[in-house]
Order: sequence, then structure tokens, then C-alpha cells
Amino acid sequence: MRTVQPCTMIGAYAFDQDRVPRDEFQIRIAALNGVMDRMACKAVLIYGDAREHSELAYFTNFIPRHRWALALLPRRGDVRLLISMSSRDMPAQRLMTFIPDVLSAWTWDKGFDPWLATLGPDGDIGTLRFDLMRPALREQVDGSLSNRFRLVAADAEVTALRRTRPREISLVRAACEVARVGAEAFAQAWHKGAGAETAALAGERAARGLAAQDVRTLVSFDAGRTLAPFRGTFAPREGLLLGYIAVKHKGYWAESFLSASDGPSDIHTRAQAGLEAALRLAAPGIRAADLHADAMRALGPSPLHPVLGSSVGRRIGFSAHDGGELTADATHVLDTGDVYALHVGARDVQGGAIASAMVTITPHGSEVLMRAP
Amino acid sequence: MPHAPPSPLWGWEQLAARLESNSQIPSAAKMSIQQTRLAATARYLAQEGLDGLVAFNGGLNSFLEAHAVFVLSGVRPVCASAVVVDSAGASTLIVTPAWEAERAAVISSTNKTVGADDLAAVLGQVLTTHKIDPRKIVTVALSTLGVGLVARIEAAMGGKVLANDKYARELARLRSPEELAAAEKATWIAERGYAHFLEFARPGLREYELAAELYCFMKELGAEDNFLLLSASQHNLAVTAAGSRVLDVGDTILSEITPCYQGQFAQICRTTVIGEASQLLQDKYAVLQEAMRGGQAAAVPGASVRAVTQSMDDCFRAAGYGDFCRPPYMRVRGHGLGITSDAPGDLVRESEAQLEDGMVFVMHPNQYLPETGYLMCGEPVVITPSGARALSRRPAALDCISV
Repeated sequence: MRTVQPCTMIGAYAFDQDRVPRDEFQIRIAALNGVMDRMACKAVLIYGDAREHSELAYFTNFIPRHRWALALLPRRGDVRLLISMSSRDMPAQRLMTFIPDVLSAWTWDKGFDPWLATLGPDGDIGTLRFDLMRPALREQVDGSLSNRFRLVAADAEVTALRRTRPREISLVRAACEVARVGAEAFAQAWHKGAGAETAALAGERAARGLAAQDVRTLVSFDAGRTLAPFRGTFAPREGLLLGYIAVKHKGYWAESFLSASDGPSDIHTRAQAGLEAALRLAAPGIRAADLHADAMRALGPSPLHPVLGSSVGRRIGFSAHDGGELTADATHVLDTGDVYALHVGARDVQGGAIASAMVTITPHGSEVLMRAP
Repeated sequence: MPHAPPSPLWGWEQLAARLESNSQIPSAAKMSIQQTRLAATARYLAQEGLDGLVAFNGGLNSFLEAHAVFVLSGVRPVCASAVVVDSAGASTLIVTPAWEAERAAVISSTNKTVGADDLAAVLGQVLTTHKIDPRKIVTVALSTLGVGLVARIEAAMGGKVLANDKYARELARLRSPEELAAAEKATWIAERGYAHFLEFARPGLREYELAAELYCFMKELGAEDNFLLLSASQHNLAVTAAGSRVLDVGDTILSEITPCYQGQFAQICRTTVIGEASQLLQDKYAVLQEAMRGGQAAAVPGASVRAVTQSMDDCFRAAGYGDFCRPPYMRVRGHGLGITSDAPGDLVRESEAQLEDGMVFVMHPNQYLPETGYLMCGEPVVITPSGARALSRRPAALDCISV
């Protein structure tokens, strides 16, 4: 789900070598070196910002809190990380990555240009997520490269090589556990009489207390027809709850929708049926479009809830939107190791409901990592 | 002068009355400032001989930048968005994803709200509807989007067009009465948050647990966002985001508490000791307090940011710390506060920006001193003819948590 991006992320982001040791990054960078060799690139530059940093975090562990960072990874030589923060802030930024050479990007001529000089007189340089970069920074990069180096987008090649590592699955499990606690606190507060926003805040408090780095919530103020970010009005409880909570923990997102009502709800039952159908089919080699079709058949005559776009799920990890949308016209197949957030729901004149779960695709099917309470 | 006396400003009932009609739900009072800005934009277009203005936001809410879409519409959309204004004064808000339109339409001050999953594609249609000649467009904050999206938007507009990236920042540089009231409420939330912090912080607690409690407490009071930095050390180098450090006796906790209320960020900077503060620490902290007072006195309408910065630096220079008035020992002596306008920008010696009556920003002579480490002292201020008046009720002091 798309949610309001906070101005900064307040949680603890230190590099935890016990959970993601350096040798893990050696494996990842070795694969990246393979891409450089195939593309005849002398280096790869990886851009990431506070909102989208999946590739940057995968190769460096670094997640920008409120601006951007650029990783400079040569095929041969030393890795450097430039961060859009003051030199005052560098000691704290160095705690968030295994890379020892961390510099402020605000002194570009001292950070980028000397590193570029180590690559030789000319050549090709691969790029990742340069589409997210602001024009002024792109001009700065181009100015340094002059006409000696050529930038070549490596996004497709790197996406093709990235496989969910076993350690990533472990970290996703941990994130799911924090999200589960948050979602249960959210649901319990509502069942005990709290309004939707008060209940969402109870969920957020529970998750943040477990070292969540970021927590996003949405609630419905119109009986499940739409979702909205925080208003701060703390309206009294209504008879139907539709909410959402997403938790980032050790870099990985986990999420859950929450649907509940005081009385029986046909749309809630059908949302659950749609989710069950998706869960039954989820397995390696299954076409995403087929999974979408099965879920929609079970959901019945209602169209998919508008807040879901046209998708019954997508991959989730370092990004809350890691691609792989499960839509009617999707062309990809599910693959072992993929982690998906599944969500099926609808709305009618009575209101709306969405059922959700997170799964990882296993060699023989799928494993449910988390289900909405 | 510098600190606000306990005046009606801080009677909560009075403040609540001023804010009564200024909630997320639209009201005549709130609509008026955005409508005023839309009308001013139409006049600007006519004056410049332009057909239309398109203001953008990429979905990032920086407390150090103007949010051009929020300035003109009153909406802070979830993802990339744009406001189109034509020279006749008609306006359309475009939000992504499409499902955001229902919520945004209720809040927006624009004539029309459109939901889309592809901003660039729908922008072209909206420009056609407004009969805007792509050759007569000025953009605002297009440069804050990623180059991938910029390229598609430029294609929709028929190529590169004129840009005026400072437009929203200048237009909203003086807070409206409603915005000032919201900034005062944000300050009230910050101070209540800090009071809660003093009660809650104790040895054995982890930094992130304290930050989580503080963040959620202020959200309960209505803070929709919060630039919250909080870190502790026996000798701090700077303030950072909370980590896993376990707090203990003798730690100095630095906090930069910055709640946002209805689009108005307010920041207080505080220094707190667990246990007793040494005489040395108290003496050094007094230098920061003196610099704060000096800065406030110098910050009159017409004064340059350079002069205000200089007056704060002079206090450190007089205390023998002239060589420390530069990074990495400090960053800036204050800065503007988004998301309406970040004017007057960073308080640095290089800035010739001039202060104006009614400007709101944070002034913070935060400083690393070799004997004590980094210390923090800062308040949100509004410029008045007699200097910068703090919006906070209680000036920063070196606070101690008894153990």
C-alpha cells in the first residue's frame, strides 16, 4: 500500500553484523561483479533515497533516513558511500553500513571526483535506480563524468540476478512477527471499544516498542469504502473496521490489513474466500495472472477494492513495493524464495473488507509467514 | 524579550478556539489561505503572460522544503501529485494513486480533484481541459521529482518549460493567522512531548524505546509527522536518530523534537542529563543560551540571516570557541520549517536573505564543545519588530533526570 512518507525515519538502523554479516555482502557484491563483467562496466553506481532504497540497502545495508545516498562500487578497488548529510553527521551514518569509506555528498568534488579518477581515463559505468534521482544531482554526476564515461542502466540485469537470500527470509520472518504484534494490538484496541485512529496508534506503539524502524498506518473513516492517513481527529468507534499497518524492521517491510465488524459481514466472508484461493494456488511456477483470476473468482461478483488498484498482491522486502504485481495482465510466474504480500477485498454499499497474508514461495508450495488477525 | 510571556497565546482554550475550524476537515478559514494563494497565482500568470502554472510534489515530505502542492491545495497527497492553475484562476489537483482522489477531493481548495495511477498521462489531459498552451507553462518543484518521472512529464508538456522553483516558498513565506496558530499548536505539542520525555526517560531504557514513546505520545496530541532525533552519549558528537543504546547515569540525551500539525513543523532542541549535571556542563550550556538570546535580539525585520548568524557565532567566539563555528562542530544556526515555506532558509554566514515580520523558523545555536561534547538549545521563533519571539513557553535549559 502507498502511505504518507514521513519526514524522517526515527527507528534504530545500525548495521547488525550478527544478523547480516559481512560475508553476506561479499556474496551479493560478487554477483554484482558478474553483472559488471557481462556489461563491461568499470563500476556500478547505486542510488537510493528515504522512500525507495531496495537496491542500495541490498548491496550496502544503508538506508537513507530523509535524503539520499549514492554507493560507488568499482569492479576493482574500494567501495565508497556518499550520503546527503553534513560532515557533522558522518560518524552516525557510518554505523549503518559495513562500508568503511563513508563521506558527505555535500563536498562532491572531494567525494565523487577522486573516486572516479581511480577508474582510469574512460569507460562504461552501470547505474541502478537513477530514475529516482533529482535532475540537479544527475547533472552533477554528468558534469563529473564529462564525456569520458558513459552511464548504462543496469536495473534489468541486477533485478534478474537478485534472489531472496536465506538470511533475508529470516529477517522477513522477524519483521512479520513485529507486524503481527502491531496488528493484534490494533485489532484488540478496536474490539475493546477504541476508535479506528486510536486503535491504529495502539498498533503503532506496540510495533515501535519492538524496535520497528518505521510504522505506517491507514484507517477508513467511511466504513471501509476508502483508506486515509492519520488525521488526528480520533473519532469514536464505528461498527466496521478497515485498517492497515506496515512495519519496517531491520530494513524489511511486513504488512497487514485489518477488517472486522460487529455483525456478520458477507463482504468480509468473500474477502477471506478470495485470500484462501490465492493461498491455495501460491507455488513456484504458478502464473501471477492465474493467481489473480482464482482470487477474483472466489471473491465473487464485486470488483476488487479500489485501494488495491487492480492487484491481489505484490513482492515485498526492502521496498513495500518490490514489483511482481499480481494483476490480470501480469506475465511473470511465482518463484521459489519470493516473498509476497497478498490482499483480496471489495466494497459495496454496506462498506468494505480486505483479507491479507504474507507468504514465501517454497520449493513445493508456499509458507504463510503472517495472517491478518 | 526573547521568550513569550505566559500570555493569552498560551491559554490553551484561546488557542483551541483559534484552531477550532482549522482541522483536516476543510473549513472556511483554512480554505481561505489556499484560495488566496490560488488567486495570487492567477495574477502572477497574467502578469507574466503565461497560461498556466503546474506545481509538483513527489510524495516526500521534507521539513526543510516547501511542499508546492500543499501550499496551493491544502492536501498532502500520499504519492506524486500536481496542482494545475490557469490564468483565469481555475485549478485542478491531480493525485496518485487513483484511490486517493476521494479523500483529497474533500480537503482540496482546488476547483477539481482528479485521481490517477499515471501522473504524466493525466497531466496532459488536464492541461488540455484548462486550454493551457504547453509553451506558456511555468513549473514549480518539478526539479524535486526523479529524472524518470520528469522525463515523462516533460513529454506530456511538449518538452522543457520555464521553471520557478522558489514560487511556493516565496508565496507562503509569511504564515497566515491559521498557519501561525497551527505552528503554535505544534510547539505546544513539542513542549508537552518534552515534559513527557522528562517523566519517562530513565536508566535501562533503550534510545528507540524512548523515541517510540515520545513519538506516539505526540501523535496522540495530533502530530501528523515528526522529525524526531534523539540520541545519548557521555560525549556526543552530534544528535542522531535513536539507536539501541541503553541509557545510563551520566548520559547526556540530545533531542530535536519536531512535530508537525496541519502542515506546520515546529522544532525545539533540548539537552538532558541523566543524573546531576557538572558545573562545567552548566557553564558551557550557558554559552548556548547566551547565543540563543543574542540571535533572537538580532533577528528583527530587515536584518540579514548573515548578521543573525554572526551574532550567535560571536557569543561562541567570545567564549573562546571561534574555531568551532563550522562543520563538523555544528551545522547551521537554524533553518526554515516546511512544509509551507522553508524561508528564510539555513541560518548561515553565507546567506544574505532578509528577515520579514511574521516569518517563522527555528533558531538553534547547537554546538560541539571539546569539554562537553555536542549540546542543543533551540526554539521555533516568529519575527516581530522587537526581535525573534519564541513560540515555546519555556526556554531551553539544561535539564536533569534524577536517579
